Amino acid sequence: MFDEIFAEIPILMLLLVIPLIGAVATLFMGGERQKYAKYVAGAFSGVTLVLVILLMFVDNMALLSENYLWIDAANIRISFILEIDGLSLLMVLLTALLVFLVVVFSASESDRPNYFHTLIMIMELGLMGVYLSADYFLFYIMWEVTLIPMYFMISWYGGPRRHYSAIKFFIYTHVASLVMLIGIFAIVFQAAAINPGVIADFSFAAVNAASGSFGEVFQVLVFGLLFFGFAVKMPAVPFHTWLPDAHVEAPTGGSVLLAGVMLKMGSYGIIRVALNALPDGAIWWAEIILVVALISIVYGAYACIAQTDLKKMVAYSSINHMGMVMLGIAASLLYVKYAASPDPVIAQIGIEFAIFQMFAHGLVTAVLFMVCGFTGHALGTREIPLLGGLAGKLPAFATFMMIGFMASLGLPGLVGFWGEFGVIFSFYVAAEAMGQIWLIVFCLLSIMLNAGFYIWAMQRTLFGRETTKVDLSHVHDVSKAEGFALAVLCIVIALFGIWPDFALGYIETFVANFAMPGV
Amino acid sequence: MVDIDINWITDSFGSMTPVLPMVLVIIGALLMPGIHLLFKRKDVTCAVSLAFVVLAAVFNILLLLGHYNGTYYDLFTYDAFSGLMILLFQVVAFIAILIAGPSSETTKLHVGAFYSLMLIATAGMAFVATASDLLLIFVGVEMVSIPSYAMVAMKKKDPRASEAAVKYVIIGGLSSGLTIYGISMLFGLTGTTNIADIAAALATQGYTAGLVIALATMIAGYGFKIAAAPFHMWAPDVYEGAATPVSLFLATGSKKMGLVVYIKVFFVMFVTIQAAQPFMTESIQYVFAILAAITMTVGNILAIVQGNVKRMLAYSSIAQAGYMLMAIAIMSEWAMTGTIYYMFAHVFMKGGAFVVVAALITAGVGENLKDYRGLAKRAPLLSAVMLLCVFSLAGIPPLAGFTAKFFLFSAAIVPGLGEPVSAQWVWLAFVAILNSAISLYYYAKIVKAMYIEKGESEEKIKVPVAFTIAAVLCVLGVIAMGVFPEPFLYYCSQAAAAIMP
Repeated sequence: MFDEIFAEIPILMLLLVIPLIGAVATLFMGGERQKYAKYVAGAFSGVTLVLVILLMFVDNMALLSENYLWIDAANIRISFILEIDGLSLLMVLLTALLVFLVVVFSASESDRPNYFHTLIMIMELGLMGVYLSADYFLFYIMWEVTLIPMYFMISWYGGPRRHYSAIKFFIYTHVASLVMLIGIFAIVFQAAAINPGVIADFSFAAVNAASGSFGEVFQVLVFGLLFFGFAVKMPAVPFHTWLPDAHVEAPTGGSVLLAGVMLKMGSYGIIRVALNALPDGAIWWAEIILVVALISIVYGAYACIAQTDLKKMVAYSSINHMGMVMLGIAASLLYVKYAASPDPVIAQIGIEFAIFQMFAHGLVTAVLFMVCGFTGHALGTREIPLLGGLAGKLPAFATFMMIGFMASLGLPGLVGFWGEFGVIFSFYVAAEAMGQIWLIVFCLLSIMLNAGFYIWAMQRTLFGRETTKVDLSHVHDVSKAEGFALAVLCIVIALFGIWPDFALGYIETFVANFAMPGV
Repeated sequence: MVDIDINWITDSFGSMTPVLPMVLVIIGALLMPGIHLLFKRKDVTCAVSLAFVVLAAVFNILLLLGHYNGTYYDLFTYDAFSGLMILLFQVVAFIAILIAGPSSETTKLHVGAFYSLMLIATAGMAFVATASDLLLIFVGVEMVSIPSYAMVAMKKKDPRASEAAVKYVIIGGLSSGLTIYGISMLFGLTGTTNIADIAAALATQGYTAGLVIALATMIAGYGFKIAAAPFHMWAPDVYEGAATPVSLFLATGSKKMGLVVYIKVFFVMFVTIQAAQPFMTESIQYVFAILAAITMTVGNILAIVQGNVKRMLAYSSIAQAGYMLMAIAIMSEWAMTGTIYYMFAHVFMKGGAFVVVAALITAGVGENLKDYRGLAKRAPLLSAVMLLCVFSLAGIPPLAGFTAKFFLFSAAIVPGLGEPVSAQWVWLAFVAILNSAISLYYYAKIVKAMYIEKGESEEKIKVPVAFTIAAVLCVLGVIAMGVFPEPFLYYCSQAAAAIMP
């Protein structure tokens, strides 16, 4: 219903420009003015959020595409193309929502708050750019733009081992990006070679037009490069070791954005870039993706049990939940590969719910990291063995924590349920097609472990006798700002849990246009 | 893109037009001692030599924009490639002279002689860029080397400088000897020193023992000049010992001159005979591919352990030379475009980094990594410049280093645009990209020291305004080449097309 209005204004460009202005504005709020930085950041991220919410009511998003030619030299063409569809929209919504809530939640940040907000706004710019760009060059640039603020976020505002973690984070993810870059080169130039006379064009459209003619060996090799690049970001076992370190040291706002939106860049890249451009390569790699996904979910959940630090536990649970996303992708590929006569609609279920799981995990993990952050600064420790009986002392906090944990372990009625349910369902179909139904055992193991460590952690922190190892006499419950951020998230979690179709509607319009590999 | 009528220049200067940019600078070099004696003011000498560089650059830019092509007695050829390279050397000279004026390291030098030497070296580099004869190239290289030895040695109070100068002279002399030996063998084999004629002669000859020795000595001789591994050992000592403006000049200028020689001799020669002698060309390609891979790896790995920022930048220069050598291995026009682009990007990013180092030394801050702790608070602008320059060197978008690497590394995957992906050099792209990742580690150490660690002093740093101007110029270059690559790419591809036979 906003189609006509939005067709007139460069709305997608605004989603990049507004955070940019916000970043510049907060950057120069030094000295006395720095305590107002949070209001400026709140205003800019709030406007962005409102715009994104309005975007949700646009009927034909294809009309919003914006195309600015950037480099048009003799033999190379790079455009500044912004496009949006169902998948992008959900990710953009997640970005805008979490950035706004992080600004609200971090209202009490008192150490150089202006730079803190500058970093957050730059990150919003980069994330929006990744999810909106339809040109590989722009995509890569925006991908890298997200790294630098996160590096500074961890090393300026992080915990005691922040320097080590920040460097580790930076190097791991940068190496992965470079490998991904080689893959991008390969597909772009291969596409240029297939269309003789066409100069090297980095737009998604140009590559997609030629991708049908990519050779099998080429697809397999290049898919490997791209998959590695994206899997490190997700992160999948065995490339996950940067994640717990980065999370434990990052400030709460950083963790929320890192787990909530940045990890999604990995799975977004697999779906948007790797599956789209290299369908045959994806099919060839299907079993390996499956193995990586199964190891990630089981190992991620198993590692959670061993953690005594609440935040580290949540960090490991991200590996498990992002493994679910990868499992959904693998399920779709395997179904197509092994089913005698694959049904395109069934084949899409895996991808569909993988996307839903991405969205769900973004919301849920934000609650979890906010809860961990609150525990850390209110009680002075996040060590589970030192806590106990907090429910009586901190009722609001306990409520949010329980909602978060329940949503994360997949309680029906909350958003986490639908993602896992759908993915496991699609995997069941795929395993059946493969004739390897026993593989489902890994999923059951993951669910059991998930439920186990969450409930166990809750029992040890919230219930039982009030702890004497931590001084609880001056502890306050969540502040208004923190409560607001958590409450909004919990409402959204419940909303999408009761009415998943709202999100699935967008996903379906995306998947309907998505060329499923092999079908 | 832009077309400018340059008939008035060609009419006034006639056949001298191709050598105009050099002649103007040489006139400046000859006048400089006199001007210093006359005015006895360091800043006047600096300003006048700057003016000569700018004047020469203006003429050069006009010739470039007018798409001028001309030769002078078949010895000097001015085309899009030489014009662009001359411009690069002029930019380097401009930055180096600009910061040499107020730099505390150069004020104790013989000022008149110093600027004179700087200008002669600039002219020598332009000489090399236009020369089309091996002997002239040799003369040009010596025209740069000998003033460089003197400039390094001038900072004589510092024992490191004396040691560096001695090393530099000995190794430089050795490399000149090797080179002239190679040239004389080539002359013996082909009867000419003109590059095009040599290529024509080689096309019918194939490998002989003499040719192998000639090529090997020339590769080694010029390898010293660009500090390609394993001929790189002198570079860190020299860059550390020399006054920082001189280090800047050597790292961004004279090293590019070495590359230009490599391009003029090996690239042009072997592209020409590629069809007639495919085996010869391919073997040379592999020689350069291995040279490039070793150079970038050695440079990056040794840079990690350095505690002195100047040494670290020296090793990073070695690594960067390795990236730029890739074009000779790949031997395609697109790769050459990428390398030329990289050369320009390197001038701005490495230049900016050295400007910051020089400014800090002038302000009394040391040149060790630990002296850089907490600089972000003390010198926010300089720190920001350094941050952008090292991120650009590491290849983080959207800065010049990324765009340059993007163009160059893509050439390893597809030798020419519109051609299929070629598996031949993909391994080289891998090595290069892996190296970029390694390099990030030590560049990040500089950033970490400046922005994250706490320093002992909180006092604000004041530097002369010339440093700020130079630093901002470099950063503008880094950003412009990263964000708006198109015009730069256009001239680079023109230049690359000009040297393709």
